[in-house]
Amino acid sequence: MSIKRLINFFTAFYANPLGRIFILTVYYLAIIAGLVFMYGKGDFSTPDFVYQGF
Amino acid sequence: MKQAPHLAASVAAVFVSIMAGVAFTIYANLFEEKYVHSVAALEHIEIIKGSAIQRVALQQDDLLVVYGGSEIVLLQTRYQAYRFFSTYPTGFNVFDVANKGASALTMAQKVAALGEDVRGKKVVISITPAIVTMAPLGEVNPDHYNANFSQLHALELAFSPHLSMETKRLAAKRMLDFPAILEDNLLLKFTLENLAGDSTTNRILYYLAWPLGRLQIAFVTLQDHYATTAFIRSHSSEELRVTRQPEEIDWSALAAKAEVEQIENTDSNSYGVDNLKWKQLEELFVTPIAAGSKDAEFIEDVKNAREWGDLEITLRVLHELGADAVIFSNPMNVQLWEKLGVSEEAQNAYYEKINSMVSPYNIPVVDYREYGTDKYFDMDLAAHTSRKGWVYVNQTLDKFFHGVLR
Repeated sequence: MSIKRLINFFTAFYANPLGRIFILTVYYLAIIAGLVFMYGKGDFSTPDFVYQGF
Repeated sequence: MKQAPHLAASVAAVFVSIMAGVAFTIYANLFEEKYVHSVAALEHIEIIKGSAIQRVALQQDDLLVVYGGSEIVLLQTRYQAYRFFSTYPTGFNVFDVANKGASALTMAQKVAALGEDVRGKKVVISITPAIVTMAPLGEVNPDHYNANFSQLHALELAFSPHLSMETKRLAAKRMLDFPAILEDNLLLKFTLENLAGDSTTNRILYYLAWPLGRLQIAFVTLQDHYATTAFIRSHSSEELRVTRQPEEIDWSALAAKAEVEQIENTDSNSYGVDNLKWKQLEELFVTPIAAGSKDAEFIEDVKNAREWGDLEITLRVLHELGADAVIFSNPMNVQLWEKLGVSEEAQNAYYEKINSMVSPYNIPVVDYREYGTDKYFDMDLAAHTSRKGWVYVNQTLDKFFHGVLR
């Protein structure tokens, strides 16, 4: 499939109300996935600290 | 819907994300259940700031969850409970939730984070006389508290539906005494300030923060599952293998053997202090101190130590959550403290205080005071557990697990 046909396909798909919602959903999911990738790992490690044992 | 495609799409995306989160949680729970016994036998300090694996450990019939501080982790020895019981000689292993510098306030948050999951479950809370008798004001070092601080545990305590407002208020007031760690946790700081306040406005603001708090807990819980599964995956199948070898334990013979090993490791001094700690302590014993000359000061320090207030919070949490708990405390090292001018009689102030604190909660205390004069139970002045001490502790853990602790 050439690039032009691909663009035409998505343009037609986007023109369809349900197709538009589907593409936008994928778009929002990609944003959420990006946020999870960037900030989602969390940090449960214990930072290095000097244990001032007695 | 057709007029508002962005709204419909964003709702769908959020829904799919939530479903993905739920699916991941189910997967992670199964994965954690499969490997929780492996984790128990490994050093797992990387994940003790989470709760996921602790919840799973609590549900196992053959794991005993132990909370504690440096007395659990400082001396690396095969007698440490998680190593000693790793082959399930008497049918169980311990699951340590311990780190250097952990104090009662840290433990209160860890237990509170488990909520209803801890109800009716056996848990051990291990403390030592160290903070009460040696730290300035008898209070946890802020660096130690901050290093052991868990955002998840603090949030779970602050937004716990299972704890009374009074317990949360007491905890919040203490947690606000360590402001540095709250700098990056604005929602938590806001919540703690309102929990600690007495006014109606404070109460309203606290409840307004509730939905945000629960939402944040949900996110951090997912992160906890991710960290836990990643931790497990970072180990080889050989490291994760669990072997079970039931055997009879001759505790007396084992104590004698451990004592020999401990003596070998104290050959730098005549006080029975482990070589690991002697360099740090030796200057304390250079100048002789008159017997009993420090008694009054010691008793006053023990009486007013702030750690007691934190222990009170821990006890309230254990009581309100209905845990089947026991408090362990290593003994005072009688001989060493006498050299520092504190008589054995004065040292008893510690035992009296801890027993009087715990008694109203009907939680048993094992204070090992009968071993205070045993030169080799503690490895140092701060009552860190020695090799021999571990044998006694392990025997008590065994009795507690099997329901025969008297």
